[in-house]
Amino acid sequence: MLKLVFFLLFLSPICFINNMYWMVQILLFFMSFIFLLMNNFSNYFSEISYYLGCDLLSYGLILLSLWICSLMLLASESVNKYNNYSNLFLLNIVILLLLLVLTFSSMSLFMFYLFFESSLIPTLFLILGWGYQPERLQAGIYLLFYTLLVSLPMLIGIFYLMNKMGTMNFYLMNNFMFNYDLLYFCMMCAFLVKMPMFLVHLWLPKAHVEAPVSGSMILAGIMLKLGGYGMLRVVSLLQLMNLKFGFVWISISLVGGVLVSLICLRQTDLKALIAYSSVAHMGIVLAGLLTMSYWGLCGSYSLMIAHGLCSSGLFCLANVSYERLGSRSLLINKGMLNFMPAMALWWFLLSSANMAAPPTLNLLGEISLLNSIVSWSWVSMIMLSLLSFFSAAYTLYLYSFSQHGKIFSGVYSFSGGKIREYLLMMLHWLPLNLLIMKSDMCLLWL
Amino acid sequence: MFNNSSKILFITMMIIGTLITVTSNSWLGAWMGLEINLLSFIPLMSDNNNFKSTEASLKYFLTQALASTVLLFAVILLMLKNNLNSEINESFISMIMLSTLLLKSGAAPFHFWFPNLMEGLTWMNALMLMTWQKIAPLMLISYLNLKNLLMISVILSVIVGAIGGLNQTSLRKLMAFSSINHLGWMLSALTISESIWMIYFLFYSFLSFVLTFMFNIFKLFHLNQLFSWFLQNKILKFTLFMNFLSLGGLPPFLGFLPKWIVIQQLTFCNQYFQLMILLMSTLITLFFYLRICYSAFMLNYSENNWAMNSHINNFNMNLYTIMTFLSIFGLFLISLFYFMF
Repeated sequence: MLKLVFFLLFLSPICFINNMYWMVQILLFFMSFIFLLMNNFSNYFSEISYYLGCDLLSYGLILLSLWICSLMLLASESVNKYNNYSNLFLLNIVILLLLLVLTFSSMSLFMFYLFFESSLIPTLFLILGWGYQPERLQAGIYLLFYTLLVSLPMLIGIFYLMNKMGTMNFYLMNNFMFNYDLLYFCMMCAFLVKMPMFLVHLWLPKAHVEAPVSGSMILAGIMLKLGGYGMLRVVSLLQLMNLKFGFVWISISLVGGVLVSLICLRQTDLKALIAYSSVAHMGIVLAGLLTMSYWGLCGSYSLMIAHGLCSSGLFCLANVSYERLGSRSLLINKGMLNFMPAMALWWFLLSSANMAAPPTLNLLGEISLLNSIVSWSWVSMIMLSLLSFFSAAYTLYLYSFSQHGKIFSGVYSFSGGKIREYLLMMLHWLPLNLLIMKSDMCLLWL
Repeated sequence: MFNNSSKILFITMMIIGTLITVTSNSWLGAWMGLEINLLSFIPLMSDNNNFKSTEASLKYFLTQALASTVLLFAVILLMLKNNLNSEINESFISMIMLSTLLLKSGAAPFHFWFPNLMEGLTWMNALMLMTWQKIAPLMLISYLNLKNLLMISVILSVIVGAIGGLNQTSLRKLMAFSSINHLGWMLSALTISESIWMIYFLFYSFLSFVLTFMFNIFKLFHLNQLFSWFLQNKILKFTLFMNFLSLGGLPPFLGFLPKWIVIQQLTFCNQYFQLMILLMSTLITLFFYLRICYSAFMLNYSENNWAMNSHINNFNMNLYTIMTFLSIFGLFLISLFYFMF
């Protein structure tokens, strides 16, 4: 793992050389290809160096972070074009990526916490520095304080565990089990907010609406997965407590998922719609994860990766429209099929991925999650059926409202899709549909 | 400051006063050191160009003299009681002593003089007040053995420090309240061990030195000055203000280290209630630190046309950059020296 860390560290001086934007972008891609070759298909920690290592669970998420971060640079070309502090932007993203790689690859719970928290800071900088509107201050504060309020108790919980177990190593931690409810709430709440579970999700739509495209991509693509990843790591410690209290979170996220889907149906803001849809999807992930069945744990990992690619792609599409029309409102972003028919294909493909249409990884994830949740309790079928129905409904709403119908008459003129944008969409979509061919890698991590 | 020979004298005296207190083996000697320290800090505060400093020095004199008198009274009482003025078991007398020392250091129920006083000081004096002047009283507090009263003071300090700073626009008052908050952490570190207190104190001193150094050079005293300051290099400004996040104790920065150590030790001592209050109040301080940083972290905002250029000489700039580097990446560098501790 140290080779990745050093690669990223030595990438940071390059950020300060002018006109090196694409160089950094290509190097990040290069890095993800190197990392692809580091897969050795084992469920144990491998590539261990300096307390860093990766098993299959962290492998997928590190690969996802590398991929998304390079796509972030590809998507925010406007930062480079208008030189909107592009050096600082590059540095910020490289540091963010470094922290994310360290988060997913650290083998000790405390180091995980440290980098988990640290990765918040560059995200905050992205929102505050490159967001569009004055409200970004509020969004930044929401993001920071929602997360910190619950993660500081988790720090206490982690030190408690350290005191009791004498180790922080994930692999050794599996030998312990704690039956202590305060500890359970301390440890879970931080991840629940980060996921975000319904009721504590309010920071997410705000942050998405105010963030630049790169911020939205990293938020939807990786930051939400930090919560799921952390939960997959610590849930084994707390499984007894989880048997007792898990139903609370499962019910909240299933009912919440339906409510959030209904909220999606009345959105007029493209980004807000996609943000709420990711709250709904993460709700299923959370519910499946907390059933603690084999299906659920595997499916949550799979859907996290799928959702990371898919929602990040949708945010990119929203940004493509935003850059041309200057608005994210669905009243203005309509009838885009008339102007950018080729982009409408990508809208279609990614929307269908968002509603878990057949060849995508989302489908695999959702099927296994549905299996786990229904096997947990047949009553949840009601909410699950509503959830799947409405998630198809709002995705169709998103697609048909933005692509079909008449074009907004107030638009003046703009260019069609660029090769860069098509490449960007392709690089989101291709792994999403190809990974299912090798689904043991993104399903059977346990 | 260093061009004035009398100031050099008084600074030396001040340092000697603190050292006398810290090293003395009797309470009377400690009291003497405190007095020397007080009487040499007052001339340091006075400034002919600023009438507020006179007021500040008067306030400082009154509060500290009151504290010293009561401390002397308590010391004499103790001496009358058991003829040995070193060991304390009597809770009433040590309660008096503790409260005088809390007053001297500016901890919570006795903090009212502190922000007012800071308002009248130059940044370098404020720095001395926030850091050096706390050494002697805190060392003396560590000799006392009154955990309950100390815990009340800890809780009140962190809460007052957090809530008080919310409504301020003056940077000196903000730093004062942040100092009260950090004092709460230091007192709570004192209840565990002196070495942890020392680590916390050293890191706090370093971080507040970095910040006051910047404020001093650029003569920044109010929040609204920050929006028109240092616009010629936004990236540098961005970096400089990350020091505030470091002071707030956010993870990837150096300021997290002392907090980490204190949190870990408090958890091992099962002080969960106290710890929760410490953490939550720190979040509030983080909020007002972040408010100071808005002008730097929002890279694009509507700027004044008459924004002035700020100048800084090369030596100061280099020094400052090095310190900022340490304050931002210090946590990672510390791990390289891990085995030295």
